[in-house]
Amino acid sequence: MLIVKDLSIERLDKKIFANINLSLSSGNITILKGKNGSGKTTLLKAILNLLEPSFGSIYWKGKLLEKNLYDFYNHVTYIADTTSSLRKLTIKDNVNIWKKFFISKISDTQIETALKTLKLDNYLNKKVGTLSFGETKKLEFLRLIIENKKVWILDEPLSNLDEDSIELMKQTFEHHCSKEGSIIFSSHQNPGIYVTEEIQL
Amino acid sequence: MKFLINPSKFNEVADYIFKPVLILSIVFFAIGLLFSFYLSPDDYQQGSTVRIMYVHVPSAWLGLLTYAIMTLYSILALAFRIPFGFIFNTAVTPIGAVFTLICIISGSLWGRPMWGTWWVWDARLTSVAILFIIYLIIIFMNLSFENRIVREKVVAIFILVGSVNLPIVKFSVDWWNTLHQPATISKLSKPNIDPSMMTPLIIMTFAFILIGIAIAILRIKTEIISRKSYLS
Amino acid sequence: MNFLNKIIFFYYREYKLNMSGVQDILTNIIFFFISIFIFIFSIGPDKETISIIGVGILWTLLLLSSTLSLRKFYQDDFENGNLLIIHLNGFSFGFIAILKTFSHFVFVQVPFLLSIPIACILLNIANDNLFYLFASFGIGSLILSCLGSISSSMNLMNQRNFLLGSVIVMIFSVPIIIFSVSIINMEESFNSLINILFGILLIVFAINPWASGLCLKLSLENN
Repeated sequence: MLIVKDLSIERLDKKIFANINLSLSSGNITILKGKNGSGKTTLLKAILNLLEPSFGSIYWKGKLLEKNLYDFYNHVTYIADTTSSLRKLTIKDNVNIWKKFFISKISDTQIETALKTLKLDNYLNKKVGTLSFGETKKLEFLRLIIENKKVWILDEPLSNLDEDSIELMKQTFEHHCSKEGSIIFSSHQNPGIYVTEEIQL
Repeated sequence: MKFLINPSKFNEVADYIFKPVLILSIVFFAIGLLFSFYLSPDDYQQGSTVRIMYVHVPSAWLGLLTYAIMTLYSILALAFRIPFGFIFNTAVTPIGAVFTLICIISGSLWGRPMWGTWWVWDARLTSVAILFIIYLIIIFMNLSFENRIVREKVVAIFILVGSVNLPIVKFSVDWWNTLHQPATISKLSKPNIDPSMMTPLIIMTFAFILIGIAIAILRIKTEIISRKSYLS
Repeated sequence: MNFLNKIIFFYYREYKLNMSGVQDILTNIIFFFISIFIFIFSIGPDKETISIIGVGILWTLLLLSSTLSLRKFYQDDFENGNLLIIHLNGFSFGFIAILKTFSHFVFVQVPFLLSIPIACILLNIANDNLFYLFASFGIGSLILSCLGSISSSMNLMNQRNFLLGSVIVMIFSVPIIIFSVSIINMEESFNSLINILFGILLIVFAINPWASGLCLKLSLENN
């Protein structure tokens, strides 16, 4: 579905990375590995068409990404490493807002079970600003379930998570892949998640 | 004409023309000042103060012209992706600001004996003051962004948005009843000015243009060098 | 239909956000009234003088207090990444700018609009003029919202000097002030002046999505 061909990006005439090739079909997990500052986030941004590649091109379903942009956006969930939940509102409000804004067809019981597995169900009426860092990070992943889209693009999803949560992420990834979804995520190490493609930056 | 959009070509041409332009501008200034102080007649109404015109009018023209060229280069830089436009904008903004400041100061020196005040709030004066503040904002924007790519593009967008002020400055004397006199020299009609005053005005205008070009060449060259050293 | 729903729920989100911080909006209005008090005490509580310069004071203070909240315009959504999420949900940057402009108008400028009658009582402005004041401020505040959108999107990446944003809004709002204040003083030429204001609104409204959209994209690119 998503093909990245010979992608190079330069910023201020300085090369960040060159000649990246990547192809993502349904059921695949791709990991981007690399040190800090090696351009993992930059590559993800280029895939989301926020950055213009200096050389090379990206294709979505056989067409150039720019020509097919909003169809691509309809199939992708992006989670950055910032907390996008609104800190002034409660978890319940946040979930409601996302659910409505993404016109999600997920039922309430599904969200409840998801909250339960994330161990957030006791804090429903607590403001997001009062949660701990790991908890807000977990709340971010709730968006993956709410949006219910095929391609997941995750920036550093595993940092700041405890072992139980990483185990949970593993299961979620596998479950998503078995439903013909596909995942790209960046990480500086791989704690034993099954991946089909590994890209070293 | 490629040297107008290509930094390395610009450097080559600039090396050739910098000295002639500088010398010519000094010569023009000498002749022009001689004309405007000694060889031109007094105005029958304004007396000797009319000589302020020989500084006031060229600097006003140049302040406007600089902004117009900056607008042009912003369009080139944003729409046709010519990075020389950004270099030009950063380099030339202070020159335009100084010309506008000279225009404002000489204008109020002229206004004191003629209108009896340093400053009146009419459309022409206000719009020129706004032009000056826009120049200042551009300079401050250039100083306060950390990321260069964002900075130069945002400044170019701001220049484009601010260019709505240009026609207001130009036509304010025609659209509103202002204390400031309307344009005496325009392309479409015969100039309303005596040839004996016209000659020094034209010579001074050329002198201003040439000194502007000379300073601009220097500033653009430094800007190009500083960008190269930033990369290495 | 889907797209329309998304727009509606964008405003639902804005509503929730603004209502959780309703004290910010109210603080703006308190700032507005306190500056009126200070203005009146600094020129002396003479009824005649105040009613002459009242409209000018009103406009100046409205402008100043509405530029106070400019920082909230895009900054929060930009920093927590919501701007990107909204974009990925199918809104182009220009369209986000239009939506946000209206949201700023509704949640920041309309409260000012509602507090104008009280300010008119304080400043001794005749009741007959209230209609002209509402008309000019209704259009003028929409122009201010557009200008605010442009300037605050320009200053997203500018962490050092945020006052620049307010300065940009104020320099471009000079013509609005000129025309909208003269509406009160020249009642017979009301139509022509309001047409000029409307023309300015259309120009700014046309520039806004282009300029803000480009700046938003730039800032997200280089964040």
